[in-house]
Amino acid sequence: MKESEKERDVIIETVSRVMVPFIQLFALYVIIHGTGGPGGGFQGGVVFASAFILYVIAFDLSGGRGRFPESANTLLSSFGLYIYAGIGLLSIIFTSGAIQYLNYGFIPFTSHFEENRALGMDFVEMGIGITVMAIIASIFFDLAHKEEKDGERGKEESR
Amino acid sequence: MKNIKVTALALITLLCALFVYVAEDIPVFGDPNAAPIKYVELFSIDADQGDGRLDQNLIPQQLTKRLLERGFPPPTRVEKIPGIQGEWNAFITKEEPHYAKEEKYYFIKREGNHLKVYRYAFVVRWIEKGLQETAVPNMVTYGLADYRGYDTLGETTVIFTAGVSVILLLRRRSRL
Repeated sequence: MKESEKERDVIIETVSRVMVPFIQLFALYVIIHGTGGPGGGFQGGVVFASAFILYVIAFDLSGGRGRFPESANTLLSSFGLYIYAGIGLLSIIFTSGAIQYLNYGFIPFTSHFEENRALGMDFVEMGIGITVMAIIASIFFDLAHKEEKDGERGKEESR
Repeated sequence: MKNIKVTALALITLLCALFVYVAEDIPVFGDPNAAPIKYVELFSIDADQGDGRLDQNLIPQQLTKRLLERGFPPPTRVEKIPGIQGEWNAFITKEEPHYAKEEKYYFIKREGNHLKVYRYAFVVRWIEKGLQETAVPNMVTYGLADYRGYDTLGETTVIFTAGVSVILLLRRRSRL
């Protein structure tokens, strides 16, 4: 659809253009500080997805989809789960004698067992964050897309 | 009709009274030393022969017998809580792959002529051992991602499934 049909608001567009990178930075901060302080993968992922939602509300849907295309969205939504399950598989591989699925301490990131557990938790939080971000964005884009498309179809038929 | 209303009112009043009666036993919110948060009472045994043995760090036979009868693991060591008269911690040994195999499990307290035996709640171990075992200061995160890692993997899968079903139902136009 043409851009001119949509009513544009300068204030909203400028403010959200400034806000979006800071929201994304805050989301990354929340994900990274999931182990050291308050935060976590679920919360950070939702905050990250809310940046896309703000962009779509302020600008338009096709522009938002252009920034975050469907292929990347689908890829990321399973990539996070792969990270999570892959960390578990790594711990199986490194403890081939006694199988300890999701016991991150046995993965040799560092020489300390406890530090390994902390680092494994970091990676797991990142995986959760990626999956949640991609899924929330995907659900929002799909729901929004259908409405707009129905409207288009209705207009085409009426013509 | 009027009878039903009166009966309903009486029933509600009864329920409220019952609730107040039960709520008397519920500990104050946020009290860290409340009994259900810290330990669960198991049973009590007579103090006459057990007390002296416990002070010498020996396990009374009656205690082991009663625990085995009820299906609990028998204690391997008893230790007096320093500074408090008449309270002991009992330890069990567990099969853990990396950490010390001994774990604080029972709490024994003298009350009058009886020795009351409690089992520590899981929360106690969670709070006391978590930082030491995982090197993560955030109590919620080491629960979420480490102790309950399987659970979180399942939660993430649930979110993933929700997203995939929305894609399948609503995204008609393009491929996955």
